Order: sequence, then structure tokens, then C-alpha cells
Amino acid sequence: MSVKLTEGAIEAFTKGSVVPNPMLQVVNIRKIDGGTGPARYRLMMSDGLYTMSSFMLSTQLNSLAEQDVMAPNCICLVKKNVTNTLKDGRRVVIILDMEVVKSAEEVGGKIGEPTPYVEGQTKTTAPPAPAAPAAQPLQPRNVPTSPGNRGSGRDFGKKALSNVPNTPGGSSKVVPIASLNPYQSKWTIRARVTNKGGIRTWSNSRGDGKLFSMEIVDDSGEIRVTAFNQEVDKFFTLIETGKVYYISKGTLKIANKQYSSVKNDYEMTMNGETTFIPCDDCQDVPMVQCDFVSIADLETREKDAILDVIGVCKSVEEVSRITTKNNREVSKRAISLVDASGKMVAVTLWGDEAEKFDGSGQPILAIKGARLSDFGGRSLSALFSSTVMINPDIPEAYKLRGWYDKEGHALEAQSMTELKGGGGGGGNTNWKMLSDVKTEHLGHGEKADYFSCVANIVYLRKENCLYQACPTQDCNKKVVDQHNGMFRCEKCDREFPNFKYRLILSANIADCGDNQWVTCFQESAEAILGHDADYLGKLKESSETSFEEVFQQANFKMYNFRIRVKLETYNDESRIKGTVMDVQPVDHLEYSKRLLANIRKLEAQ
Amino acid sequence: MASVYESPKTRINTSMLSQYINRPVCFVGRLQKVHPTGKSFTLLDGEGKMATVELNDPLDEELSGVVEVIGVVSGKATLSATAYTVLRDDKGKPFDLEVYNEGLKIIHDFPQYYPFEVATSS
Repeated sequence: MSVKLTEGAIEAFTKGSVVPNPMLQVVNIRKIDGGTGPARYRLMMSDGLYTMSSFMLSTQLNSLAEQDVMAPNCICLVKKNVTNTLKDGRRVVIILDMEVVKSAEEVGGKIGEPTPYVEGQTKTTAPPAPAAPAAQPLQPRNVPTSPGNRGSGRDFGKKALSNVPNTPGGSSKVVPIASLNPYQSKWTIRARVTNKGGIRTWSNSRGDGKLFSMEIVDDSGEIRVTAFNQEVDKFFTLIETGKVYYISKGTLKIANKQYSSVKNDYEMTMNGETTFIPCDDCQDVPMVQCDFVSIADLETREKDAILDVIGVCKSVEEVSRITTKNNREVSKRAISLVDASGKMVAVTLWGDEAEKFDGSGQPILAIKGARLSDFGGRSLSALFSSTVMINPDIPEAYKLRGWYDKEGHALEAQSMTELKGGGGGGGNTNWKMLSDVKTEHLGHGEKADYFSCVANIVYLRKENCLYQACPTQDCNKKVVDQHNGMFRCEKCDREFPNFKYRLILSANIADCGDNQWVTCFQESAEAILGHDADYLGKLKESSETSFEEVFQQANFKMYNFRIRVKLETYNDESRIKGTVMDVQPVDHLEYSKRLLANIRKLEAQ
Repeated sequence: MASVYESPKTRINTSMLSQYINRPVCFVGRLQKVHPTGKSFTLLDGEGKMATVELNDPLDEELSGVVEVIGVVSGKATLSATAYTVLRDDKGKPFDLEVYNEGLKIIHDFPQYYPFEVATSS
């Protein structure tokens, strides 16, 4: 009996102290079936004076129990352990490495008269947290190196929230963010807050609360940090975006990638012990960590991918308000970003970002964590979790600014997003020659194609360009003349004493290479003819010659057209139908610049 | 000088003047200064380089803005004008000399596509 138990070890464990390599006797082994994951073993150990039942065997040591190497009464040397404190103050010792130094047979029986150590309510079977499912009596189930524990990963993520890693000895040395994990509790990081979100509240059947999240970086990586309730009150006003802090004692858990684009497998939750100490010497801590994707490469990325982009804000639309599915009204704003790849993409900003955004002076815009959508080709959406930075102080931004001021501004960027409307001189255009409609088979796809072109009106068909429509606002259905002074609208199922004129104008437009029949509805037809439908209707009734003159006047004028083309089939005959979405006067300066840039581009090929 | 009207007039900028001595050209520039005699004025081209325009008769109007001149190149940086016209703002948009200069360079870079614009010296 040369082996001596480490007396006092149990007491030390319960108090949270560190006991190096204690020698303990196994009193009892209990197998806990953990749902889908591997079984876990829970041990009651004795130091000869006291027993404690909340020892957990980490899964890689399961073989010890399964192969009966370890049996009650055997004496073990605990080489590595982690102590975790539960919400109610009880401690759980996770054994990471141990060795059986004396088998049960050799020992023969219980050493001494150990009694359960009573400090709190530590009894032989530490009762699980109230209402926790019986299968998970102890929280730190998935401790270290147990990749096999997939099934219980979720429980862990949730429950570990309350699992403050015990850190005896207070402050510890600064470690990189990349080294943080849920199994180490003694750390301090020095990191910059890059994106602090606003306070959000929730309310559900389990009660309500509030939270805010932020992202912090150092030169090793980044991590998302969330504060709940009391910590929100404590930290929200203190923590400032852009500042550097020494941070210690946060709870780490597996990151939920659904809500975050931060490149870290873990995320941090602040708890009552978490500290944020401002750090003044912060030159070397990076501002923000971005992995920018070239706009041209967006095509190759999966839909819904979360990625970082940087570009010059070439054009901005006005803020608009939309109502979401759950009846919430939000602001949105569409902007176009170009980068040195010469491609452009539409980006949607939401909420505050949309309202505050000032696109004047074509700022550089970097978005961290935007979501890629395949809406209209490829487009991006800034999410709640995205960081939108205007003219950020990073090398990529300066490079881009240099490129744009030197050559980018003159370049006609090709959009990855096909937007409806748009038309005019804006950035969101897809310039084509009319011959391209045929050579590129535009409109033959499943979806309609949109393009812009500069073309001349060569023919306007004045026959049937006007029709009598229902006078109800928003109803443009053709009415039937009842020949009794009344006009009937089938759609509204009503008769009216009047009607309004609507235009549906067939036009042939041509550029230097080809021509195309297109249909112009109300607004575009009015723009081309230079008069409103009502006037034209009355003119037609009163003076056929004046009416004809309007058409003569409108001929051979040049416009920027925005056209939608789609293959349509009538009576087994398929043909490309062109519809004018928008018609704008040609901005000759811009047109000239575009032509010049195109010529130089051809030259370079 | 009737020949200036009839012959092709190459569009050039100041730096090309010396290659077109004694040949009819078309020059566009922004008015810099009118000589007190009214018999000449200076223009700045799209590159900001100056050219002097000499007139047969003194100006009888006040010139300003962008001016297009046709005439014959008489020296390294001078041309004697046959006619001139002021290019007024187009709907509030001023004539963009820089873009014009870029276009002009294209004409000279690709004479095969602009045969009537660039009279070859041979």
C-alpha cells in the first residue's frame, strides 16, 4: 500500500482551487447515456477524507471504464483536469487525462472513511439543474477534444451559457483571439471593437430580454461577443466602436453561423465576471478584418454566402420604405458598387444604414458580412450583422480610390445585377447594340433580359396607338363602348360615362447596326411623342393632320432606351417582344465618354 | 482661302499643330485672351496647351467660352483663321474639352476608321 491518496484534494476541488496531479480513489462509476453522443462516465472519487461525485470522464478516457481498467476502489492519478462551476456554484471536475496506478483488486477496498464533502448541497448525486432533461445531468458534457459529440453540441452551446469557466488567480496574460476556446478560462485578449450593434429586445413564451452584439478583432482573428440583460446595462454605453480593450472572462460557446459572418468557430457571451478594460496603446491592433471578394468573382459564389466586399459607390438611389412580411416597415436604399474588376453590383442597405447613407462624392464603401443573393443575377444585401464602412481607413480603400480617380470613373462598369427601371444615365445599365439582341439571343432565357441602348426612332405606328381605358385610377383596362354614351369596364364590372386615353405605341428603333420593334406604354410613349395621352386622344378626334404631325415631329430622335426583351409565342409563332421600360434623353457627354472608353477597351484587346 | 472650306480639315490639338503647317485644320479650344488689337486671340486646348489664332479682320464681337476655328496652320503654335464659331453650352452643360480631346486622339490613333478626318501627309 505504497500509494497515498492526496488528502484535501476534494475540498480544494469544491473550492475551485487547482490541485496538481491528485491521487484519488474511485468510489463509484456511473454510465450516463447521452442521447446521440457517446456515453459519458461520471465518477465518485475519494481522497480518503471526503468523496465527491461530480467528476466527469472526458470521452477519450471512456475506454478506461469500458474495458474495466477502472473499477470501484482503484486508485488513479489525475494528470489533467478542468474545473467548471455551474450556475448554482457547484463544481464539476472534468478529467482529461488520468492513469490507473493501482487496480481495484490490488487495493481491495475503500481507503479510510470518506464522507461526502458538504459545502453547498453537494450530495452523492449532484442533482441536475432544475427542469434539465434527465439525460443531461451535468452541464459540461462535451468537454475537450470530443469531436464525436455532435449530437449534444447544441445542448452544450445553450447550457454552457451559464458555465463560467473558473479562473482562479484573476488576470492572466494576453492571448490571441484565435486561441480562445470553451475549455480554457484563464485568458485576457486585447482586441478592437469593430462593429457594435444596437440593443435588441426579444419577447417570447420564456420571457423577454435584451441583448447587443459586437465584433472584436486582433491580428490573429475575430470573434463575436454578445451581452444579455444586465450586461447590456453594464456595458452598452461603455463600449465604443473602434476602441481597444483588454477583455477577460467571457463565456465561449460554439458560434451560430446563421446569425453571424464572423470567422470564428466560437462566440463569446459576456457574463457577470466579464471585464472590459480600455487599452490606450492600440496602434498594432488592426481596425477590421476583411476578406474582400472581387465583384467579378461574386458570380462564382454560392447564393446566400456571407462575404466582404469593397467598392466605389457609383450611384445611389433614394431611400424607400417597404413593409416586410411581418408587417414591419423598414427603410431600404439601393446603391451600386464598382471595383477594379470593372464589374458592378447592386447592394441594398436597410434601416438606419439606408437612411444615414450619403453617397455624395462617390465614397468607398466596404461591407463586411454582406449576403449574396441571386436576385437579378447577383446582388448583395447588408444584414443586421454586416458592418458598413464608408471610406474606411484601410489600404484596400486607398488603392480603390486611386484606381477609380485615375481610370475607374471613365470605365463603363458591367453590372452583375440586372435592374428593372434604371434606364437613364445611372450606373445600373447593361449597354447593348441592337444587333446584340440577336447575336446574344437576348430574351431567350427563362427570365426576360433587360438592356440599355442608344437608338433613334425610325418609325412610329400611329394606328391603334390609343385606346379607351377605364377611368378608374389604377385600372387601365380597355372599356367597351356601349354606344349609349356609356363605357363598360369588364374588370371593374361597371359602366362609366367617360374613359381615359391610354397609349400603347409600337415603334421601330435603330442604331448603326440593326433595328428592333418595341412597344412603348403610357409614360414612355408620352415621352417620345412629347404630349400626354389625353391631349393626343383629343387631337386625334379633332384634327387628324395635327395628330400626324406629332408623329412626324417625334421621328428620328435619339434616346437612351431601357428595354425588356422576352421570347413570346402566339399561335405557334415565337418572336422576341421588346418593351420599353424607360426612355431618357441622351446625355451626350456621358455617351461620348462611354464610346471613348469602349474604343480604348477594344484597342486593348 | 476658299480651299479651306472645300478641303478636309483635320481636327487637331496644340501639340499636333507643328505636323500640320500650311494645312487646313479645325481647332477647338477655350478662349484665354483676346489681343488688344482684336486681330488675334489665344485658345487653350483640352490638354491646357495654348495656341494663337490670327484673324484677317479684327473681331467685331466679344468672344468667350469654347471656340471652334477652321484655318491654316501658319506656325508652330499659330493658325490663321478662316472662320470661327463659339460652341455654346448645351442645355446648361458646357462643352467638355477634355472629352473632346480624347475623341480627337482616337481619330488620330485610328486613321483607318476616320479617313476623312485625318488627311494623310503624303
